[in-house]
Amino acid sequence: MKGDTASPMEMPDRRILVTGAASGIGRSTAVLLSRLGAKVACADIDQAGIDETMGLLQGPGHTPWQFDFKNIHAVGDWLAALAGSFGALHGFVHAAGIPAPVPLKALSIEKWREVFLVNTEAALALAKAFPGRRVYAGESGSIVFISSVMAQVGSPAAIAYSLSKAALDGVMRSLALEFAPRKIRVNCVAPGFVRTPMFQRVERLWTEEQRARVEALHPLGLGQPEDVANAVAFLLADSARWITGSVLVVDGGYTAQ
Amino acid sequence: MAQPETLYTLITGASSGIGEAIAARLSQERRLILHGRDTGRLQAAQARCAGPERHLLWQYDLRDVAGIAPSLGAFIGERGIGVECVVHSAAVLKILPVRMVDHKALDEVLKVNFISAAEIVSLLVKKRVNQQHLQAVVFISSIASRFGAPGFSMYSASKGALDSFMRTIAVELAPRVRVNSILPGGISTRMTSGLLADPKVAAKFERDYPLGLGNPEDIVNAVEFLTSDRARWITGQELIVDGGRTANISI
Repeated sequence: MKGDTASPMEMPDRRILVTGAASGIGRSTAVLLSRLGAKVACADIDQAGIDETMGLLQGPGHTPWQFDFKNIHAVGDWLAALAGSFGALHGFVHAAGIPAPVPLKALSIEKWREVFLVNTEAALALAKAFPGRRVYAGESGSIVFISSVMAQVGSPAAIAYSLSKAALDGVMRSLALEFAPRKIRVNCVAPGFVRTPMFQRVERLWTEEQRARVEALHPLGLGQPEDVANAVAFLLADSARWITGSVLVVDGGYTAQ
Repeated sequence: MAQPETLYTLITGASSGIGEAIAARLSQERRLILHGRDTGRLQAAQARCAGPERHLLWQYDLRDVAGIAPSLGAFIGERGIGVECVVHSAAVLKILPVRMVDHKALDEVLKVNFISAAEIVSLLVKKRVNQQHLQAVVFISSIASRFGAPGFSMYSASKGALDSFMRTIAVELAPRVRVNSILPGGISTRMTSGLLADPKVAAKFERDYPLGLGNPEDIVNAVEFLTSDRARWITGQELIVDGGRTANISI
């Protein structure tokens, strides 16, 4: 019984695609997965950011694979080409995302559709292409979408983001049901306010008083990208082999109060 | 200057089912206080742990809620130890149609499933008892906390109480103590064996669970994660571990 002491979070030689890998949560996730033994395909619109992330990964066998997820009709072919070159995938993490921190009167239809396209539709397009024999390795399938607490709570100037993340939670649940017979698990991680470049862009628009108030609403303070990466890795690996259709909230207690 | 105390993780209900599996895993890295009602089964659980001599046994019937604080307080006081983590896995499952539910039946379920947990946490955050050693708490709740099933009213209520309590103490005890619940779906253990022995019930479970029935190791993995430093920013949360059951309306 005590024979195997390898952690159930280890992912030796699993091949995982991480979108949004050029910065923030995506970068932190790619780094942690590499430390757990996975081979990571790093995707993002930002090539320079991808190259920097590649330099932080542990061990060999990782690959950069640049893409603009607004090209949604090309996702299927792009994913097949990646799997053809890198090897069939065991899972992916959709951490690519854009914010639009403006009140509704300043939010154009085009802008909210752009946010929805990258944050939500790209995830769905990736999921649609994933189970194909050209792409999926056929075992240990696990998909994680980076959602947000903004899918569950509201805030001024968060409409486009909330729209995209709430939809992601809904998509995830039905996907989990459709993919269960193929033993591909689908879950969301919902971060609270985490110190990433995306958050810093939003934070710069706040007054010091607003910033202090948001921090005070977090019983454990603001988070680090590594805190989210750990939750993603937990869900991707065999440690979560019986978890599907769930949202794991990682927010320092923000939504508990 | 006082000697620093040796720190332990308390697991209630450690002599069977999910609690025993949790003990076996956590025993690899931690010193444990194994709690249970039956000394013989507790000793057997201890023998299945890594480094059995490293762990302590606290035999106690949690239905006697008035005696929990004195007993556990004396247990740790006499040994000069501290408790840094609690996993509350003790539970009773009593299935009764609501027309047969009364305060007497509720009494036992509420005491073992919820009140005992409150007594234990309250004791272990008292400075004179446990200083400030307590860092993490995990309650083994149930998806029954959130969803109704005929006959489960008492069990559901007790788990619902546990989860609401969890959310409040997570906010109150932050940032020093993280508190979370795990909500398992149907798992084959001694506690559920009566329920799952009915072939019609077992077949329904297999049908309703997208990933099939779980086993205790699935819950153990979640406990190990939530009690570790990897979950240092997670508090006040209910983690559902149920093979997709509660996401499933297509039954």
